[in-house]
Amino acid sequence: MREQPLLFGEMKSLIGILADSPRTHPGPPRPAVILLNPGIVHRVGPGRIYVKIARILAETGFTVLRFDFSGIGDSAVRQDSLPFEKSAVSEAQEAMDFLQRAHNIDRFILMGGCSGAVISLEAALNDPRVIGAVLINFPFTQDQDENAPDLALRRAAHYYRNFALVNPRSWQKLCTGKANYRFLLRVMCSEVKRRVSFGPGASPESPLLHSLRCLADRGVRVTLVCSEGDPSLEELHDTVGKYLRQLSHCGSIAVSIVRRSDHTFTSLYDQEQLLELILERVQTMAQPVENLSNSREPLCTENIVLQEGLTRQSSL
Amino acid sequence: MKSVKIPLPFHFGPAAQPLFGCYHEPDLARRRQCAVIICQPIGHEYINCHRALRQLAVRLAEVGFPVLRFDYYGCGDSSGNAEAGTIPRWLEDISEAIFQVKQRSKLDTVCIAGLRLGGALAAMLGAERGDIESMLLWDPVVDGKSYLEDLQLLQKEQMRSRPKPGRRERAQEHLEILGFPFTHALYSQVQEIKLRAITRRPAKNMFMIQSRTSDQGRGAELFNLTESNWEYQALPIPQIWLPTTNGSLLVPGQALQSIVSWTCRMHS
Repeated sequence: MREQPLLFGEMKSLIGILADSPRTHPGPPRPAVILLNPGIVHRVGPGRIYVKIARILAETGFTVLRFDFSGIGDSAVRQDSLPFEKSAVSEAQEAMDFLQRAHNIDRFILMGGCSGAVISLEAALNDPRVIGAVLINFPFTQDQDENAPDLALRRAAHYYRNFALVNPRSWQKLCTGKANYRFLLRVMCSEVKRRVSFGPGASPESPLLHSLRCLADRGVRVTLVCSEGDPSLEELHDTVGKYLRQLSHCGSIAVSIVRRSDHTFTSLYDQEQLLELILERVQTMAQPVENLSNSREPLCTENIVLQEGLTRQSSL
Repeated sequence: MKSVKIPLPFHFGPAAQPLFGCYHEPDLARRRQCAVIICQPIGHEYINCHRALRQLAVRLAEVGFPVLRFDYYGCGDSSGNAEAGTIPRWLEDISEAIFQVKQRSKLDTVCIAGLRLGGALAAMLGAERGDIESMLLWDPVVDGKSYLEDLQLLQKEQMRSRPKPGRRERAQEHLEILGFPFTHALYSQVQEIKLRAITRRPAKNMFMIQSRTSDQGRGAELFNLTESNWEYQALPIPQIWLPTTNGSLLVPGQALQSIVSWTCRMHS
């Protein structure tokens, strides 16, 4: 595995690290993987997880580019007034252009955590060269944004409901005066407020479902990776869960849940689980499109591939 | 429209274990005769401070200093796994960075800016080498033991509202702090860090910024024995290396301004 720092893009202002293998790997040419910034964290990722992902994929023969969008990390701020949602998609495409020109690769898998997942999805919709996307802790509701003021409270609410509630130690703390009651109260109030103001969830025509349908139609393989300890999993159920089941292209949309992990895969064990999962998903996505076309079944309803083994089967 | 200076990313050091660096060319019209190296913190502190230190590098380059930011071995974009990082290796990395910045800038005078553990490493290396012109320490780790205690407290605090580790997870061989491993070797080496034990001056000119109220006042006594010209400033700024509730990365303009002003005064 070798790595090379580089500057690319129209203004040569985007900084990235290219990782690949010096050895030639047998079989058909592989797609390249592009990692997109998780929020405003630079290309290294929280817990250096992007570096680990890039290296493990490069060791197995993939060319991987992780880079900073303009204004994030080391890349220069843009001089135009293009909003981030548009400039980021355009820069993801510049990354593809660069790899196509310099490395003769014309198929890509996009990957990103949180807002990086949103940009991955948008770029996949906008560019036919994208054949796969790994969307890690995709923010299913708008206020899942990292900068939303109540995000910490929502994560805590999710933790209390899904983990603390069934943990005898938590109950012991609660009953012996060792819990942080003020914080608990804040979390409960915030949750009630959120539930009251929460809409009816997604309609079958919601933009996200529409996007996933478009990608499935194109044969783009999408994996939604959710941390069990992250509120985005609950939001997946609340918003698009029931409709996601009805996506009609077998095998192209997958949901994988990483057990006990949190939003940023804070523990090293969670990181290992994520790495194994990503390696498996990317290798599957890299298989030639014909394999997918041949195995595609007519319209069906129960077609979400749920990863087992490493991850828990979803109850979607 | 303001012209955009793009830092140059590159690898340096041993070919088999390269280090990642970002070189900021100075504004040529205002070029000064001193190059600056930025020594970053490690682990989650490195991630949280990246934005501020990048901004510091940009501001120093704008006033005429060539600046090199770099990642230690096993950190950031440099080669190596996080488990491979050790204090002796990182001290060598700083020396390698000094060599690099001298070569690239064609200058012999070097100023080192270090934040948190980066500050402690800079002071240790400066005292050992004796050839550093100026050094600014931003909330350096003064005592390794307290630093480790603080890190473990933070880990406990941050994990409070997160799923607890299962049996397999607890079997990890390293101590871990917010997604970064701390090997036993590194732990013992960090425990040994005591800036007060440094008796030789780390640099001719020293500047220390402290934002932590508990540490304020310590700076004054810190380098009393080292015969440096030193200045000390307590600033009411946030501790930017700590995780924020909303995940934002802080850039304290006041601290950057103080650092840039002091560096300019020292190398006018």
